[in-house]
Amino acid sequence: MSDRIVRERNLVVRHSIVELAEHWAVALSGLALLVSGMFQLPMGSRYYINAIPGLAWSADYMVSLNVHYAASIVFVAAALFHVIYHGLRGDRGMVPRKGDLRTSIEVMKSFFGKGEEPPFHKYLPEQRLAYVGMAVIIAMLIVSGLVKTYKNLYAPDLNYAVVLWATWVHNIGFVLFILAFAAHIGAIALKPNRPMLRGIFTGAVRLDYAEHRHPLWIEEIEGAKPGAGAERPATLPEGTVAVEEAPVVAEAAAEVPRESGAAGGESGVAAPEKPGEAEPGSGKPPGESPSQG
Amino acid sequence: MRNSDNRPRLSRRAFLKVSAGAVAASGIAWPKKAKARSTGKLATLIDLSLCDGCPGLDVPACVSACKTINRDKIPPVADPIPVPWPRKTVEDWSRRREVSDRLTPYNYLYVHRAEVDVDGVPKTLFVPRRCMHCENPACATICPFAANHKHENGAVVIDQDLCFGGAKCKTVCPWEIPQRQSGVGIYLHILPDYMGNGVMYKCDLCHDRLGRGESPGCIEACPQKAMLIGPRDGMLAEAERRAQQMKGFLYGRDENGGTSTFYVSPVPFDRIDATIQKGPGRPHMRPGVERQMAGMDGLGKAVLAAPAVGLVAGALTWLSDRKARVEKEGKKDV
Repeated sequence: MSDRIVRERNLVVRHSIVELAEHWAVALSGLALLVSGMFQLPMGSRYYINAIPGLAWSADYMVSLNVHYAASIVFVAAALFHVIYHGLRGDRGMVPRKGDLRTSIEVMKSFFGKGEEPPFHKYLPEQRLAYVGMAVIIAMLIVSGLVKTYKNLYAPDLNYAVVLWATWVHNIGFVLFILAFAAHIGAIALKPNRPMLRGIFTGAVRLDYAEHRHPLWIEEIEGAKPGAGAERPATLPEGTVAVEEAPVVAEAAAEVPRESGAAGGESGVAAPEKPGEAEPGSGKPPGESPSQG
Repeated sequence: MRNSDNRPRLSRRAFLKVSAGAVAASGIAWPKKAKARSTGKLATLIDLSLCDGCPGLDVPACVSACKTINRDKIPPVADPIPVPWPRKTVEDWSRRREVSDRLTPYNYLYVHRAEVDVDGVPKTLFVPRRCMHCENPACATICPFAANHKHENGAVVIDQDLCFGGAKCKTVCPWEIPQRQSGVGIYLHILPDYMGNGVMYKCDLCHDRLGRGESPGCIEACPQKAMLIGPRDGMLAEAERRAQQMKGFLYGRDENGGTSTFYVSPVPFDRIDATIQKGPGRPHMRPGVERQMAGMDGLGKAVLAAPAVGLVAGALTWLSDRKARVEKEGKKDV
């Protein structure tokens, strides 16, 4: 696990560089696959998309298939890399846990002002469920896509039942992938989730946010590194709210170590700020302040 | 035998003799149920030295047979036919079903006339034209709904119950063979204004008849016995033998990566192509047509290799991580 607290920067490293690379490889190639896959339908000319500057290729099935193949190489390799790498590491953070479905409903209700969020681990329960959903969709797309590619190259007269299955699994997976992609982006648009966005760009999220919303995760990190927990307040003072902006500005993906760092932050840096003391009132409205449960 | 675009030097009388002799010598019978019933890939041979266009008939016998067999294939057409949005293309042949001199949704075979010059002597060739049933047909492999498929017997068949009529198959066919009839098909039951535009139709090599052990109607009807069907290897060997004997030319063996239709002609096909009337529903006969998708086979192979690449890279990264961790812990211990 590469997760670690960098207290002096008010950050928690959430994703390693390898994980960021996996995510963006799948996300960007997936986007290219969505677009080039859509252009495999006879829509480029019919909808005059090919009249849009830069999109003349939308009506050229050979070009869009080339793009589709090229993006598939990245998508498939990244997905299989993910499975074997995290499988061997024994990473289970995104595997659903008992009660995730029920908790997810509570969390979603809380987004609309009904009830309060429970404390989270590294991932929200709905993230774990969404992960499984996305994994199933991606598996559908990859397996059926490989069958279709094999058929295109070597076996145009492949058994028709197999071809029909592969085609329709791919088409249904395509629709589900669009929906899942929209839901993924939609989840980030929800205000309580926004602080997580920086994590997928820089690898780290704000410590005060994590302590507020993901206390179980912080406990896990600190539990794994004895002595580090002493700096962390057990709970935030009542009425304190999370800050929107981290008190540090100099964080970048390059600063995110691939391996787990030593507990207690880095030496030679200014004295750590305690998240509980950070800019009260500058963040979420009190009603959205997550409980510490 | 020469390449299809070389110049032949063979009189009409000579090539007719050669062709007739070749047929007799080959021992290949004219269509037999046993041949059509055989498992494995079938192919057809069309000998242009034998086809005479059926003089005396308004419509050549093969075309009539094809029209008769497929007369009731297309269901009643919606009236009015929905006009697609935003490109308002409607293709309706239902009021011109009798057309037989080009490909239409109601006519899957026509006889193309070519006025060529053989050794200074004007000569008319008759070229039956229909789907070539390619070996690796893009029309089928990249149909987004798998409505078009190459079956194990070699026939490329469109399932009219699955086809949305987007005409992608026509676009990627080097000869633009499939023809669209708007106002029929599954799209009418979904979003007819926004998705789909009818059904694509073309020769299916009489797939149903083949399944019953019968020959395609056109082959059975030809009075000149200018067409054959049989196992692909045998048909190709016969086509090559005939072409060699008449010092003629082959079309369909190499075109579009290989097809299941072998034309044998005493006249080079580039000369035939130069003289035939081409246009919608009247395809060219240009020799050496390349398979468009061949250019992306390399990328396709890389796609098939991608899972192995991902697995190996994942395992190596994990090993590298573990090695680094062990080294780090070792240093700590020291």
